Amino acid sequence: MMHGITSSTALWYASRATGVVSLVLLSAVMIIGILVNRQGRLPGLPRFAVLGLHRNLSLLAVTFVALHVITAVADSFVSISLAAAVIPFVSAYEPLWLGLGAVSLDLMAAVIVTSLLRRYIGRRTWRAVHWLAYASWPAAVAHSIGSSKDLQNGPLLGLAVACILGVVGALAWRLARARAEVPRARRVPDLMASQRIPEGHAAGQAPQDRLVRAGRR
Amino acid sequence: MSHRKQSISSRAAARDRGRARLRAATVSATAASLIAAGGVAFTLPGATASATGTSSGSGARSSQHASSSSGTSNSSSSGSLSSPTSAPTSSSGSGQVTSGGS
Repeated sequence: MMHGITSSTALWYASRATGVVSLVLLSAVMIIGILVNRQGRLPGLPRFAVLGLHRNLSLLAVTFVALHVITAVADSFVSISLAAAVIPFVSAYEPLWLGLGAVSLDLMAAVIVTSLLRRYIGRRTWRAVHWLAYASWPAAVAHSIGSSKDLQNGPLLGLAVACILGVVGALAWRLARARAEVPRARRVPDLMASQRIPEGHAAGQAPQDRLVRAGRR
Repeated sequence: MSHRKQSISSRAAARDRGRARLRAATVSATAASLIAAGGVAFTLPGATASATGTSSGSGARSSQHASSSSGTSNSSSSGSLSSPTSAPTSSSGSGQVTSGGS
């Protein structure tokens, strides 16, 4: 008993299974990425290891996404061209849901490529492109739930909901941390006020400024 | 001086421990993903059940997938797909009809 998996349906099952695992991995990557951004820690791992785990899981997720796309294209019963997997909304089959998958794939590719070339493109550009992950993940979720009935009911629906709740929870935690954090521009004045550093003795204040103040007196 | 050396060596040891944990976590995640993919593939319902009903194209595609996967030998022995569970009757994509009919 192979539960319907035969040589002719193996790719179809592989595509669906790798799609489900990709969704879980991408959600985990999102959650860890949000944690890393706000100096979050995972139990038992130092911060550099959390960063490394984020990178390794990203590469693992990309591998599974690649397998998902390759098996979907190679499956002989499905008329999905390679172009339809990469170019959004050109597929004859499920154009909207497959188009969202293509959008997610393209954004993900941009994020991964810029991360691999980070030292050459500069932090600012890398960071700007990295924000695309926040668009890529919802597109992937919509593609997963919309294009397959596997995730529309049963335990896999619960898994999809858990992924969504996990990322939304991490996002809420990030926003709460960001709101509680003192903005950089206010950090020095606040520190001075709290420690009552005498005027003119703050670090970074220009000596000329002190002289001008002294002259005014 | 020796205190400083001790501090450096303890930091290096902590870093090595962190690296080992990272490696273990990565290997565990990879293994878990592969096992999960296999497990999910075996627990997924048949292709007919996985079809999305909203689009005519998906229904036709998936039902063909089911019928051809289970009925390939039947069609070769009897020579015709006499009573498919759900024939690709809908007016959806031409690609699906080609693959299902053959």
